[in-house]
Amino acid sequence: MREIRIIIFMALTLILTVFGMLSAEVTRKNIRFVEYPDFPDAHSTWSSIGYSKVHQKVFIGVTNHRDKVGLFEYDVNRDRMRLCGFLPELVNLRDFQWQGKVHSEIIEGPDGCMYFSTDGGESREEYLMNHPHGYGGGFFFKWDPAEERLTKLGYGMLYESIKDITMDRISGRIMGVSYPQVHLLVYDHQKNDLRDLGRVGSDHVPRVLFSDWFGNMYYVDWRQRLVKYEHDTGKFLFSRDSLPAFEGTPGNRVITGITACAEDRANGVIYLVTYGSKVVAFYPARLGFGKMEDLGGIYDGDPEVRQPYDYYCPNVALGDNGMLYYFIGGHGSYVDGEERNVLMEFDLRKKTKRMVLSFRLKEISEVTGSGVKDEGGNVYFCGRKRDPGAEMMGESGASKPFMIIFNPTKEIAP
Amino acid sequence: MKRGMLTLVAAFSVLAMFRPLAAEYKFFAPRGSFTVEISLENTDRLRLPIYRNAITSLTCIGDYAIGGTRANEGLSPFLFAASLSSRSLEVVLDLAEVLPGQRAIQSGFGRVENVFYAGTMPDKEGSSGHLIKVQFANKRFEVTDLGEPVKGEGTFALTADSSLNMLYGISHPSGRFFSYNIQTGQVQVYEETAVTERQLAYYHHYALEPEDFLSRALVVDKSGRVYGSRPVNSVFRFSPQSGKIETLKDELPIVWGRRPLGRVDSWALARDGTLYGGNAGDGQLFKIAPLTGKLTNLGKPIMMPRLVGLAFGCDGKLYGVAGALPGYAHLFVYDPNDSGFTDLGNPKFPLHVPEIAGELPWRGFQIATVAASEDNRYILMGEDESLSQLMVFPVK
Repeated sequence: MREIRIIIFMALTLILTVFGMLSAEVTRKNIRFVEYPDFPDAHSTWSSIGYSKVHQKVFIGVTNHRDKVGLFEYDVNRDRMRLCGFLPELVNLRDFQWQGKVHSEIIEGPDGCMYFSTDGGESREEYLMNHPHGYGGGFFFKWDPAEERLTKLGYGMLYESIKDITMDRISGRIMGVSYPQVHLLVYDHQKNDLRDLGRVGSDHVPRVLFSDWFGNMYYVDWRQRLVKYEHDTGKFLFSRDSLPAFEGTPGNRVITGITACAEDRANGVIYLVTYGSKVVAFYPARLGFGKMEDLGGIYDGDPEVRQPYDYYCPNVALGDNGMLYYFIGGHGSYVDGEERNVLMEFDLRKKTKRMVLSFRLKEISEVTGSGVKDEGGNVYFCGRKRDPGAEMMGESGASKPFMIIFNPTKEIAP
Repeated sequence: MKRGMLTLVAAFSVLAMFRPLAAEYKFFAPRGSFTVEISLENTDRLRLPIYRNAITSLTCIGDYAIGGTRANEGLSPFLFAASLSSRSLEVVLDLAEVLPGQRAIQSGFGRVENVFYAGTMPDKEGSSGHLIKVQFANKRFEVTDLGEPVKGEGTFALTADSSLNMLYGISHPSGRFFSYNIQTGQVQVYEETAVTERQLAYYHHYALEPEDFLSRALVVDKSGRVYGSRPVNSVFRFSPQSGKIETLKDELPIVWGRRPLGRVDSWALARDGTLYGGNAGDGQLFKIAPLTGKLTNLGKPIMMPRLVGLAFGCDGKLYGVAGALPGYAHLFVYDPNDSGFTDLGNPKFPLHVPEIAGELPWRGFQIATVAASEDNRYILMGEDESLSQLMVFPVK
């Protein structure tokens, strides 16, 4: 009898704990910030973050937004951030091979190495000679965390940045997109075979590529239709339908495609955030295009203040509690007409959303990162904050970068 | 009051500070410009599929832009007609339906009255390209195969003289000049412009292929003489009266060390009879006075090579596109009256897609062709991409 009571008590405790986790309010105790050491003139981070399951480390590309890019490593188990090195020193870049930033995500390949690409920086320097020294073009890079060795895998296109990459998780092929001419490049770096699939975009280069577990890789065309490099067939396919959009979404938002994505492998779904401020559930198929479900807008604000398509959200992650989390704000676009960055919680079951935290821009001005999460349910984002003490970098303003760790089900703040 | 003034001054100062940054984002986007969606993969709409749509020949008749395309290896090209008033693609014809085995219509169009002529490039090396007669009426293409002007060769460039009912072309890969009598079908091939073994060896040192050094365009002056370029970096002139080809004394303008890259990329005939040309090698604009044969280097509109297209607007100014891979297009205008260039920059025109959004902004990076409407009120630019569109702007 006593044993039964103990079992009932333990079961109740477990249920209450789980229930407590699910219904827990997100507070500032669920979030903390980590500085980047040894880079005093660090200015910003972009989508340049990724997690290594093999090494249980987060990797981040940090830039002064001019000509100095540092690769950082956060050791999850030791709670330690360190500078792995600056790209020119790590891989013997000459001055004329300067790189403005890592704009791409940092992806773990099937070999346990981390892959990323580089970018010229400010778009006013997009034309090859608009910069006083010219820009040679973006590189594909491989970082081997075990050997602590950076390898330059070569240029994409001459004079073009590589804004983002994704990876065929089975073969290790990389797909990247060039800037400003929006050429899709499929690169088998093991065979040094780079295939230029041609231009697929318009005036603006959509910044996000993504992949699925079948080895397929995706992008969007100028009509915001998914474009797929199909692993099994090697075919290059275009979806017939555009991604869901609000009525009246202007063309300059349509052509920009997807801003962030997060994967739920267990349920076979990838959540996409569009530049038209929609959340879309995409169910990939091995062959062809899978189902698409419109989950609504990312923010239900007052349309008198801001149109529903007019929010900026270049980040998203799926919490261990099954909720989507994303920060809204940046590039001059903020909710409710107030200069602040807000953390949203999207309940996928109820299809409801709510603001859980709000930050002044001197705390968080902009957040990037797509689905970067460790085994402990910690979600990682690149963060930036307004800093009048930092150097003004043209259109990108004056800011300081830092890493955000967020765990919706656990208090992690010191 | 004083405080308000100070705020105002401060605000203007901040705005002034941002001006130089914003200036780099100014694209050439004149009012009334537009892009016609010619290519789109996997659609029910009338569009050209991927890798078969580089607009390598372009002209205009009435309200219609008429285009000929280049395809990738193993694929066939198209003829298309796009309405300028409805800003839409209205008619397409897969050339393989009437003439299989061809990869490109890249010669440009020659026009005799309301009939167009073009030459094709074969898909397989060693096969023959054909001359085709293209009639467009009642929203329908009618294509007639006029045969193979040079056996085993394609047609790289073509022009027509409507007064003599003649076509003139450059064959590929040999670079022979040929004439075709539209009335009789008689072909005459001239060896003088063909690349020699010695020249081939010379080009080999520079890793150049015939696609890189053959004359990309031909033009007829007001007295019926035909001009093009020939290896190495020279301009030839064919006189139909004498049946002779002469090489002009003045070479194409060069940048030191880049002479092998010289060839004619484009031509435009001015009202006063002056010929304006673009040199592919270094992107110089030049002019030729037909009376004297004197060639004058007018300079480079931008730092990049190539000058892929030229057309006169109704304002008497010459519009052109300079720059190509590994850079990209700058549109420029040249005013013959004050001898000045203006770099208009990279074009960005709205693409009308009502089913998605009102308008999508479209930028032109790689442009293959430039043409004017019949009244010279519009300048048309055909893209050279995997999915190419037609960009149009009005001449003010």
